[in-house]
Amino acid sequence: MFFLKEETKIISLHPSYFGPNMRDYLVTRLNEEEEGRCTGDHFVICVMDMVDIGEGRVIPSSGNAEYTIKYRAIIWKPFRGETVDAVVTSVKPTGIFTLAGPLSVFIARKNIPGDIKWEPNTVPPQYTDHADQVIEKGTSLRLKILGVKPDVAAINAIGTIKEDYLG
Amino acid sequence: MSNFLNQDFGSEDEDDEFNPAPVDESEGEDSKPAKSQGRQAPGSDDMKDQGDAEEDDVKDGADDDEDDDEDEDEDADEDEDAVEARPRKRRRGPLNPFIDEEAGVDEEEDEAEDDEDELAEFGTEMHPDDFDQLPAGAETDDRRHRQLDRQRELDATMDAEKQAQLLKERYGRNRAAATDALVIPKRLLLPSVEDPSIWGARCKPGKEREVVYSIQKRIEERPAGSRNPIRIISAFERGHLMQGWFYCEARRQADVTESLEGINFYYPSQKMTLVPVKEMPDLLRVQKSEELMPGGWVRIKRGRYQGDLAQIEEVETNGLNVTVRVVPRLDYGMNEDAAALMGPDVKRKRGATNAIRPPQRLFNESEAKKKHAKYLSATSGLGGKSWSYLNDTYIDGFLIKDMRVQHLISKNVNPRLEEVTMFARGGEDGTANLDLASLAETLKNSTAEDSYQPGDPVEVYRGEQQGLIGRTVSTRGDIISLQVTEGDLAGQTIDAPVRTLRKRFREGDHVKVIGGSRYQNELGMVVQVKDDTVTILSDMSMQEITVFSKDLRLSAEMGADGQLGIYDVHDLVQLDAATVACVIKVDRESLRVVDQNGSVRNILPTQIANKIPPRRDAVATDRNGAEIRNGDTVREVYGEQRTGAIRHIHRSYLFLHNKAQAENAGISVVRTTNVVTVSARGGRPTGPDLTKLNPALNMQGPGGGRGAAMPPPSRGRDTLIGKTVAVRKGRYKGLVGIVRDADDKNAQVELYTVNKPVQIDRNILTPKDPITKQTLDSGRGRGRGRGGGGAGGGRVPYGSGAPSGAPGWSGGRTPMAAGDSSRTPAWGGAAASRTPAWGGMSGSRTPAWKNDGSRTSNPYEAGNRTAYGGIGNRTPAWNSGSRTPYDSGSGYDAFASGSRTPAWGGAGAGANTGNRTPAWGGLSNGRDQRDFDDAPTPGGGYSAPTPGAYAAPTPGASAPTPGAWPDSAPTPGAFNAPTPGGMPKRGGYDAPTPAAYDAPTPAMGGAAATPGAGYGDDDGGPRYDDGTPSP
Repeated sequence: MFFLKEETKIISLHPSYFGPNMRDYLVTRLNEEEEGRCTGDHFVICVMDMVDIGEGRVIPSSGNAEYTIKYRAIIWKPFRGETVDAVVTSVKPTGIFTLAGPLSVFIARKNIPGDIKWEPNTVPPQYTDHADQVIEKGTSLRLKILGVKPDVAAINAIGTIKEDYLG
Repeated sequence: MSNFLNQDFGSEDEDDEFNPAPVDESEGEDSKPAKSQGRQAPGSDDMKDQGDAEEDDVKDGADDDEDDDEDEDEDADEDEDAVEARPRKRRRGPLNPFIDEEAGVDEEEDEAEDDEDELAEFGTEMHPDDFDQLPAGAETDDRRHRQLDRQRELDATMDAEKQAQLLKERYGRNRAAATDALVIPKRLLLPSVEDPSIWGARCKPGKEREVVYSIQKRIEERPAGSRNPIRIISAFERGHLMQGWFYCEARRQADVTESLEGINFYYPSQKMTLVPVKEMPDLLRVQKSEELMPGGWVRIKRGRYQGDLAQIEEVETNGLNVTVRVVPRLDYGMNEDAAALMGPDVKRKRGATNAIRPPQRLFNESEAKKKHAKYLSATSGLGGKSWSYLNDTYIDGFLIKDMRVQHLISKNVNPRLEEVTMFARGGEDGTANLDLASLAETLKNSTAEDSYQPGDPVEVYRGEQQGLIGRTVSTRGDIISLQVTEGDLAGQTIDAPVRTLRKRFREGDHVKVIGGSRYQNELGMVVQVKDDTVTILSDMSMQEITVFSKDLRLSAEMGADGQLGIYDVHDLVQLDAATVACVIKVDRESLRVVDQNGSVRNILPTQIANKIPPRRDAVATDRNGAEIRNGDTVREVYGEQRTGAIRHIHRSYLFLHNKAQAENAGISVVRTTNVVTVSARGGRPTGPDLTKLNPALNMQGPGGGRGAAMPPPSRGRDTLIGKTVAVRKGRYKGLVGIVRDADDKNAQVELYTVNKPVQIDRNILTPKDPITKQTLDSGRGRGRGRGGGGAGGGRVPYGSGAPSGAPGWSGGRTPMAAGDSSRTPAWGGAAASRTPAWGGMSGSRTPAWKNDGSRTSNPYEAGNRTAYGGIGNRTPAWNSGSRTPYDSGSGYDAFASGSRTPAWGGAGAGANTGNRTPAWGGLSNGRDQRDFDDAPTPGGGYSAPTPGAYAAPTPGASAPTPGAWPDSAPTPGAFNAPTPGGMPKRGGYDAPTPAAYDAPTPAMGGAAATPGAGYGDDDGGPRYDDGTPSP
């Protein structure tokens, strides 16, 4: 689910940036460091705007200045039960690896409908029900997230397509 | 045994004992005072109910015989009924149900023999229970009697314990028990002080039951109403629980003692103990018999298959006999010969021969046929072929065996997977088909209480609380209290036995396998939950694993599972000096690794030399020369085009990790030369690091430091061209010329002396001032130390320094020296030393130095040198003359002998000639000058010696030098000890160099610092720098 979240970040700036364009630097820095970041809990999709750039504080020993910046960002936190669209990145006998945006979702064999079978003899390998459904690399899928496993700087999830309106 | 029992207590007897019970009870109830008699029956109930083994034995005998007998009886009855009995019965009308003529002969007999004296009372009434059991109108219908009888018979065949329980329930030993129309609170059924006491007495261990039987017999012989009644109300024993004890219920201890007189195996000598009222119920507590289910797992207690796992095929209705399936241990007569040899002892030794147990193997008829064809017979039944071999039945290769329950262990069976797999029946598709449900059931019996921990989500899946969902709060033994989280009871805390619970997981839960299975410590996410089994997707291998929910636990951990000692999955370990490997799986005792060559093997932790700590900063280059680091994603160029993030870099091998790859835990090995970077971690190439210096500022020019670090190569016209240079080495050494052309390496030099351009390595050219011939800083100055020094020594004299020294003494020469060698000070030292050497000649130069004041001395020495060199003079004559000295410099010998001489010779001649001679001449002059110079300074302190020395040396030098120099003898001799000290050394060296050198050494010794300091003060310092490049 997407949220608009207000967050705080401390940026320290090298003294050589001190000058008229300091603000711009800060913005650039913030965007570069934050956008696309994964906290292990959510993904920061986009920094919307800055609510407040605090006063810089020069660190005594280094000369760097620290800015405490409050900003708003759009974040995406995947939830169990959430239905997302994803693209198949690879297909293995054990299941299907997909990417839903920044989130990698694995669909285990158990969570693939029984009529869709693993077909290793085709090139590329695929899951298919020998009718109109073919799942191979690049296929778009709609899946439901079954579980989310947060990691230090990544999120892994497992999903299912074994339900109505999924696949 | 069973036979014996049969004789003693045939089915009839059993009936005797039990069937009348209600009657007695009812009696007792009616006539409460007659307690002792009334109690008797319940007592026997108890007895029955206690006797665990009794039940076996009785059953063994009774069951078979009884069943048969009674069936027959029944049949007979029925027939009778059908034919004639009915009319007779009807005729009888409402009769006592217990006096049933048609109930069979047995019954009548029983009653007759049992209750002779009570017969009067007996029969007039029916026990209310029995009334209850009978439908209305039963009294009038004797058919019901038989029904009742039949029911009792059925009861008799039931599990004795169940029956006992049933009876006990019905005829609780409380006064109130009889009025069981009402529901009686259990506590009222408990014995009180008014009830008879129970006495525990000792007997021979193992003979408890016989004692009880004897007592029983005695009671029968001397019933309550008889002349000498036995006043024991009941007697029982607790079998193996209380070995060597049996218990009697009686009013007084005396009664017991009296009754037990002369009973076999009873130990009257040991004191009887009174069982406290409180403990009475415990004494009689019956453990519920294990319910064995077909398909469950048990272990065999003894015999050839002791300890083997067996699967229950069938449980007979009495719950005592089971048919089990075992993997046979047969040797097919292979060891028989050996056994036969033992002859008559065979029997006795059988145990011993059996000690060598054949391994567990499925039955193989062809092997059996080899030796034991006569024992083998095939029977084909409905379910397929079965073999009969040595009186045992084999089906599908398994031994099918009837066993008694007590020969099986049904608790904590803990079937291991490898054992269980032996039982796996091959499915049609060849896959092993395990009955997980039954396995689960068995395992559940052994559920350790610690498999539930507070906070675990659980579900009650059987029993009256079925369907409740909650979280465990605490565990006490087998009871778990859980807080209900869902449903109407939410918030309440209830208790439930472990066996009715199972852990509850939802799909997507992150769990850890905590025990039991071989997947222990695996982490994964739940993908499917089906009853008791949970399918999880392993984090590591991306494979699906099916385990029981009891073996799982919610896990907060993430990342790598399993550790074996210090080794973790994906660790890099050193196997031997040349082999490293990456751990891909951690089992309980071994590790699975993939080594640098890509081969996978299982190793023990002990085989690992050490663990290679991850190096964050390891860098390699890929095929294109791009930098790759840990964490970067690379792709293989050839072969399988594997991709992955770099886990480890080891020399030229990369260990890649790819989550989408199932095998080897996603690890693959590639060579650095075979990969190209796909993406670098953290977007290294994406832009400047903003945390560092502002790039904008960086653009403005190279930082000083950077410039300093590496001077930019100068381009454009070579600065050397057109310069006057001197050659430092080779055949043109010492010659001076003008550079006409130059490239990176060579310069074309037009030498002054040789009228043609020569190619000379530019590195051995020293730019000179065209006029003064002083060494210039070419800017390309090679600050290289000519430490080799020997040469330097030679140079020293050449010591352009010397020349410069003379005139430009103040500046030129020092730098000269400096110029000669990068290690200016050394040179300085050297030069100085030399000078001092010379000076040293005069006297201990060191002190001289010191005394002079370092600086002064320096100049002096310089001066000395100059002077000595005469070279100072030479300088002017440098162009040409220098050469000579050069030569001499190069070869000290030359210098010493030849040059000097000429010098001398030339001394007078003219410094300008450039010969040493002039130099010498100059020298003398210079010396004089120097001396003058010197003179003043020393004059201060050492004036006397120094000049003296000087004076001396000069001539001395001049004198000895020619001859003595090489020898060095004279010089020292002439002058003083230290110098000679140096001299010999010099001798040690090649003559020339050392000469110069040696001197310095001592000089250094004395005044090492001095020269340095001197230089510094002298302005020598800067000149050093200048000098440095000069060569």
